Amino acid sequence: MPVIGIPLELLRQRVATPLAPQQLVEQLQQLGCDVEGYATLRRFGCRRCDNILEITETEHPPVLCDRCGADFRALPALLAELGTTQVIRMELLAVRPDMFEPGGLARVLRHYLGESEEPARYTLAPPRLRVRVDPSVARPESHRPFIACAVVRGITLDDDLIKIVMKLQENLHWALGRDRKHASIGVYDLATLSGTRFVYRTVGPEELRFVPLGYDLTQPASQLTPRAILAEHPKGRAYAWLLEGRARYPLLCDAAGQVLSLPPIINSEATRVTRATRNFFIDVTGTDERLINRALNILVTSLGELGGAALTLEQVTIDYEGRGVVTPDLTPQRVGLDVAAAARRIGVELDAFTLARLLRRMGHAVAPAGGSALLAGAGELMVEVPAYRNDILHPVDLIEDAAIAYGYHNIVPRLAMTMTAGSEQPLERRAAQARQALQGLGYLEVLTLLLSSEAQQYEALRLPVDAERVVIANPISHEQTIVRTSLLPGLLETFAANTDHPLPQRIFEVGKVSRCDAGRETGARELRRVAAACCGPKADYAELRSSCEALLRELGWQLVTEPDEAPCFIAGRGARAIARRGDQRQVVGLIGELHPEVLERWKLTQPAAVFELELELEGLV
Amino acid sequence: MIEALARAGGEATLQALPEQTGLPQKDVGQALRWLKQKGWAEQQGQVLVLRDAGRAALTAPAAADEALLAALAALGSASEDELCGRALDVAGARRLLEGRSGLIEERERTTRLVALAAAGRALLAQGLAPRRALNQLNAELLRTGGWREVELRPYDVTVAGPALHPGKSHPLVRIFEQTRRVFLELGFDEIDSGYVESGFWDFDALFSPQDHPARDMQDTFYVAAPARCALPDEALVDTVARTHEDGGDTGSLGWRYRWDRELARRPVLRTHTTAATIRALADDPRAPRKVFCVGPVFRRETVDYKHLPVFHQVDGIVVDEQGSFATLLGILQAFYRKMGFERFQFRPGFFPYTEPSVEVFVWLESKQDWVEMGGAGIFRPEVTEPLGCHAPVLAWGLGLERLAMFRYGIASIGELYRARLAWLEEAALCR
Repeated sequence: MPVIGIPLELLRQRVATPLAPQQLVEQLQQLGCDVEGYATLRRFGCRRCDNILEITETEHPPVLCDRCGADFRALPALLAELGTTQVIRMELLAVRPDMFEPGGLARVLRHYLGESEEPARYTLAPPRLRVRVDPSVARPESHRPFIACAVVRGITLDDDLIKIVMKLQENLHWALGRDRKHASIGVYDLATLSGTRFVYRTVGPEELRFVPLGYDLTQPASQLTPRAILAEHPKGRAYAWLLEGRARYPLLCDAAGQVLSLPPIINSEATRVTRATRNFFIDVTGTDERLINRALNILVTSLGELGGAALTLEQVTIDYEGRGVVTPDLTPQRVGLDVAAAARRIGVELDAFTLARLLRRMGHAVAPAGGSALLAGAGELMVEVPAYRNDILHPVDLIEDAAIAYGYHNIVPRLAMTMTAGSEQPLERRAAQARQALQGLGYLEVLTLLLSSEAQQYEALRLPVDAERVVIANPISHEQTIVRTSLLPGLLETFAANTDHPLPQRIFEVGKVSRCDAGRETGARELRRVAAACCGPKADYAELRSSCEALLRELGWQLVTEPDEAPCFIAGRGARAIARRGDQRQVVGLIGELHPEVLERWKLTQPAAVFELELELEGLV
Repeated sequence: MIEALARAGGEATLQALPEQTGLPQKDVGQALRWLKQKGWAEQQGQVLVLRDAGRAALTAPAAADEALLAALAALGSASEDELCGRALDVAGARRLLEGRSGLIEERERTTRLVALAAAGRALLAQGLAPRRALNQLNAELLRTGGWREVELRPYDVTVAGPALHPGKSHPLVRIFEQTRRVFLELGFDEIDSGYVESGFWDFDALFSPQDHPARDMQDTFYVAAPARCALPDEALVDTVARTHEDGGDTGSLGWRYRWDRELARRPVLRTHTTAATIRALADDPRAPRKVFCVGPVFRRETVDYKHLPVFHQVDGIVVDEQGSFATLLGILQAFYRKMGFERFQFRPGFFPYTEPSVEVFVWLESKQDWVEMGGAGIFRPEVTEPLGCHAPVLAWGLGLERLAMFRYGIASIGELYRARLAWLEEAALCR
């Protein structure tokens, strides 16, 4: 999870209740925030692009601007030191993007601390701009069918707030957009745009040229086709996969045909937001209309929180073929909530009034307050969920909100009273018996890694690789490419890691190995095995055979051995272990003295003998 | 040699000496050096000439060294006192023999004399019979009763012997066993499921959207062989698909995307043991039901002191008409109490398949801090209703390695697996 630093000063300006540092941490934890602690950040400004760069006190000052790429080593005059700021650091709560910045977080705290019982309200100015959506964007050839837009006027945001908005945009891409796949956001300087009728359409890879963000407007070479941007621009290369296989790309233009952006890749340089920007045009494009609307709502209401009353939030009309919508749409989502069901699920006594109060503390409206009108139906509250909340899919999500407002620390834990008998897996009992027997024989239990490689599981035992192994498609390392097929390599690796330990060493493991099995639903199954090994000057077949015999005896079977030419053993010193009881006979594993080549392979300088048995064969359990 | 020289008329050539003296060549050389040192003969070119001192020595009594050698040849070995008693000049002989290695050997020996004191003499006077002393009692002595006639020597019981270590369980297995015992005591049925799991049971049945970051190739091990899993019965698959797409009949908005059955068929290494409990719920969704599963789970984590690609969880569910978030907290508290913790904190958590969700923290005295142990919650209706379950289902997935690390004071999770045998021997059963 990404970690964000919320400037304390901005939070304090917006929350009236005085909170000591530790109290603030506790309140945020009770809301579900994963707080890392407080930090002091050193701040630097880039004089070329007004970007603000923040570092912790132990980090070195920045050498490059992460927005415009200015090299501060070559041009130290471009870097301005701006002092320090106190932040509270916490992990981003992916389900609550409305809490990603100080404005939205303060909004949550004001409600939670009881400073405000009213839901946050925002006045929206009627639309002056229209965006026509060309039907081609809905076709599979580009498929990014939805757009939501807003205008924000009267911005007097300082550099800090601009930084916060940029960061919020990035974090919304991460949390809601799935890295721009489902939603991508563009913010533009409205003053650079012409006309009132914009177009969201598609464009061919070579159909036009524009200067992408970060390129010099005055250089003719900066004029790039969409295809060239995908191939050359850093953002183009990073996000080209989102347009892979598309014959045409989405494009947003103003009334004069000037390109605003090539969603979800890059904005144009000509429409870039600067310190002088007073009015924003914002767009969110994507594949899910509800999602892009929520993203826009979060961005716009957060701006409203940050920018205060001076801002005007203005709607934009979106003309789809055959229907028109106006965005942003801050109409609350209405959800009916059964009071008794909520109380039952949380496990506390709750009446309608208490539940309504809890929900208001989470920013919801429960309308109208007081009297029987509170109830939407028999025993049901009508809850109005703010339009900036994206996580209320079902009434149970409101029950969680109510539980959080109630306080998990106030819920008294108790045990469910329904009586059940309980039972263990028969195989677990058998495994426990095997472990007890081997411990009694003086073997020390080890646990070894489940993921292994063909080299370890086959080659190092002089065995041919077989087709039954479970193979990982995306391994992390060449040492962990398959699920183990034998317990022996783990035991040998343990010996190899303990060559400084007194001899003889006797160890065992009870564990599972995996095999492909086309007869199973998942195509694979596990086999429970037990393996033991002895390493030392006198380690030999006889000892391991005796131990194996003792183990099988404790499990109710007799051991019979027959010669076996398994290549991991010295010729003539390996055997098949057969479990016998009356007329029943079952091959259950192998016993033997390891071949010197195997010992060499594990860099062991002492002889070793081993056995490995199935614990899970038919009839054995 | 001087006798031979005298017989030969006082001189002889060196070549003739062995023959004339009857001595082997190597002894001749030794004797020559000795004669020269004593001044009994001198070498003139290749001729050895007997000197006057040599003639005198022929008749003189034996010198001190020769006398000593003669005496020792007869006795084999003797103490200095003994030799002095034979009127031998031991000091003179030692001087002469000094530097002539291999002729005699001297050893220092300490003799202590012990005298019986008065009490001992009195005891002896009572007629004490001395007994044979033995180290080891044996079958013969027991059979014949001979042990009565012998004395078994006492030991120095304060002396430490070599260190011994019993064959014993791995510390992490002890945690698994203790965990199993706790849930068995609480009346849970133990269940199990495979390491290879379909995307359907690992994610889809748990209402995790198909583009959830947890399903990324970055975070989850996908399996190349076997290549595909089978899906359960079509009606269930269809219900789950609709629940993802628009909430189906659950009253949910759903995730609003096009559900892809091929993604559900992709095998993964299970990312949580919840895959086992959700299968158990699908097999029998009727309340009351309490099941648990202890086993390994797989995450595509970069290895560090806290993370390994494989670790163990205990997952459990309680299907109970009376179940609530409060009883879920009660079960979690009961488990951690039985595992030896005393203080708990429950903080909101967020998981795609539970609502409300909680993260459990325990107070760690050694760290003086709250430590997160695992997540829990009540399964969402989007999870339970497609399976035909209408009672609340309390669920949890708790990591077990951490418990072992705290109990045995281990700094890095990797030590549990690539264990040093010395550490395994030292990890006492009582901890």
